[in-house]
Amino acid sequence: MTFSDDRPTMIEFKDVHKYYGDYHALRGINGTIKAGEFFSLLGPSGCGKTTLLRTIAGFEDISSGVIMIDGKDMADVAANTRPTNMVFQSYAIFPHMTVEENVGFGLRKDPRSKEDKAKAVAEALDQVGLKGYGKRAAHALSGGQRQRVALARALILKPKVLLLDEPLSALDKKMREHMQVELIKLQRQVGITFILVTHDQEEALVMSDRIAVMFEGEIAQLADPETLYRRPATRKVADFIGTMNFIPAEIVSESGDKVEVDAKGLGRAMLDISQAPAKTGETPVVGLRPETLTLLYDDQKPPERETDGVIDEVIYFGDMTYYDVYLGGTDVEVRLSMRNVPGRPVLDVGTKVRVAWSPSALVLFR
Amino acid sequence: MAQTPGSEARTGLKLISPTAIFVILLLAVPLATVLIYSVMTGGRGNVSLPLTFENYSELWSKSVYGYIMFKSLMVALVVTATTVLLAYPVAYFVSFHVKPERKSLWLFLITIPFWTSYIIRVSLWFVILGYGGVLDSTLTAIGLQPLNVASYSILSIIIVLAHAYAPFAVLPIFVSLEKVDRSLLEAGQDLGESRWVTFLRVTLPLSMPGVIAAALIVFIPTVGDYVTPELVGDGKEPMIANLIETQLLKLQNFPQGSAFAVASMLMVGIVAVAFVVWNRRFIGGGK
Repeated sequence: MTFSDDRPTMIEFKDVHKYYGDYHALRGINGTIKAGEFFSLLGPSGCGKTTLLRTIAGFEDISSGVIMIDGKDMADVAANTRPTNMVFQSYAIFPHMTVEENVGFGLRKDPRSKEDKAKAVAEALDQVGLKGYGKRAAHALSGGQRQRVALARALILKPKVLLLDEPLSALDKKMREHMQVELIKLQRQVGITFILVTHDQEEALVMSDRIAVMFEGEIAQLADPETLYRRPATRKVADFIGTMNFIPAEIVSESGDKVEVDAKGLGRAMLDISQAPAKTGETPVVGLRPETLTLLYDDQKPPERETDGVIDEVIYFGDMTYYDVYLGGTDVEVRLSMRNVPGRPVLDVGTKVRVAWSPSALVLFR
Repeated sequence: MAQTPGSEARTGLKLISPTAIFVILLLAVPLATVLIYSVMTGGRGNVSLPLTFENYSELWSKSVYGYIMFKSLMVALVVTATTVLLAYPVAYFVSFHVKPERKSLWLFLITIPFWTSYIIRVSLWFVILGYGGVLDSTLTAIGLQPLNVASYSILSIIIVLAHAYAPFAVLPIFVSLEKVDRSLLEAGQDLGESRWVTFLRVTLPLSMPGVIAAALIVFIPTVGDYVTPELVGDGKEPMIANLIETQLLKLQNFPQGSAFAVASMLMVGIVAVAFVVWNRRFIGGGK
C-alpha cells in the first residue's frame, strides 16, 4: 500500500481543537490527507468525525489549530469560497428545482455560455448514471437518485476535495454495496480527493486508500485498511474494526526488536516488535483475528503452532461457520471462522478440536 | 363490524350533518339571498321583481363607485404588501435566530396586541399619529415640522391596518420557514453562494407558500374592512364596506347594496385566485 506515500499533500491538520461550550469535540487533530486519495473518517457516533468534516467544508469554525487545504490556511476562508464541495447526509437536494437546476446550481457565476453550462450539466448527470433525468422534479426522485444528483451537483464544480457525510447510510444494503463500488470507480475516474465520513468499518475498509479511526475527538490511528486490520494500534481500534479475540497475556521478556509473551491457553510465543504497538498502559492482551485460527483435521499437521480446545458454540453462516472454542483447558474463549468446504462437516458443540495458529498473526496490546 | 360502503357513507353524512346544516343556513342561504337581491328592483326597504342588471350598471356608470372600489383594492394591496414585508423579517428572525425552546414564547409575545380590543388599539394610534400626538410633539421637539399623519386619512388607515394584521402574516411565514431544511442553506453556501444569494435562491422561494398565505390572510379581510375607515378616517374616506353599509342600512336599498357586495366578492375572488395560481409555482415544484 504505497499509493498515498508519494502523493502531494492536499489537506493538513495541525493541532485542531474544537469546543462547543464546555464540550471538547476535537482534541488535537493532526495528520495529512493526500491529493487524489480516497480517505475515510471512521468512528462511532459522537466521535467528532462529522465535526472534522464540517471544519474542512467551513461550516464549523475551529477553536484553535490550523487547517490547510492545498497549501492555504483556511482560517479566514468562508465555506462558499473553499475549494471543497459536500455531499450531505440528507443529500440536501433543492426541492423547488428540477434535477438540472440542482446540478447547475453552483454554475451561476461560471463565465461559460448557457449552452456550455447545459452541456456540462448533461455530462455530470451522465457521469453519475442519470442521463436524461434533467427535467425531472427533484422531489420525485428515489434515495439513490437523490444521492447521484448530490454527487453530480458537487462534481460539476470540479472541487479539489469532495466531502461525503455518511452518504450511503440511508440506502438499503444492496444499493449501498452497489454505490460503494460506483463511488470507488467515480473517484478513480475524476481523480479528486474524496473524504468519506462513515461509522461502518466494512464500508471504510472496502472504499478507502487510508482511514483515520476516531474516538472521542481524537485520531486513534491513521493507516491504510490492511495495516488497520492486521496491525491495529490500540485495543479499541482492534475492537472497532472487524472481530478480534483478546487473550490475557504476560510479557516474559523484551529485547531489541523481539517481545516474548505467554498467552493464556496458547503458551509462549516470540513476537516481532512491529506486532507490539506503543504502550498505552493497559493490562497486556494479545489479539487474534478469527480467520487466522484454523481447526485441524485428525491427521493434519499444523503449519506452525497448535493448541487443544473444546467447541462451546457453533454459528452457521452458510459459506462460513463460526466456532467459539475454549483454549487448552482454560476459560479463554476465542472465536474462529472456517470456510465450509465439501467433505468437511460442521462440528458439534462439545467436540474436542486442535486449533492451529501462527505467532506472526498475534498483536500485543499493553 | 363490517360495513358496506353505503352504510359508511350514511354514517359519514350523519356525522357531518350538524356542521352541514350550520354551513347551509348561515353561509349558503345568506350568500344566495345576496346574489338574488343583487338582480332585483328595490329602494327604500322594498325588494321586488322584475329581475334587472340595473344595480350593476349603476356601479359602472357612476365613477364615484368605481373610484371607491379601486381605492379599497389599492389600500388593501398596499396594506398587504407592507404587512408581509414587515412580517417576513420577524418570522425569519424567530425561525432562524431564536433558540428552539424560545420560539413558542416569541410567537406568544407577537400575539400580545390582540389582547386589547381593536377599537382601543385604533384610538391609541390617534395618540401616536394625531394632532399634538407622540409623533408630532417629538418632531417639534427636535425642531422639525409636525406631520399630522392623522389628517391624511388613507395613510392612517394603511398604518392602522398594517399593524392590526401583522401577527396574522407572521405565523404562516414562520411555519413555512420552519419547514426549510437547514442543510439546504449549507448546500447553497457549499456550492459557492453567499448567505444573501442563498437566501434569494433557496430560502425565499421555499418560503413563498407561507408568504402567499400571509398575503391572502391580510388581503381578504382588509378589502372589506369597515371599522377602520369609519374610525380612523372619520368616514371621510369610505371603502367598499362603508359603501355597502350606506346602501343596505342607511338607504335601505338592499338590491343596490347586494350588487356592491357581489362586485366586491368578485374582486377579492379574482385577486385570491391569482395568488393561488402564483402559489402553484412554488408548491408544485415543477410539473
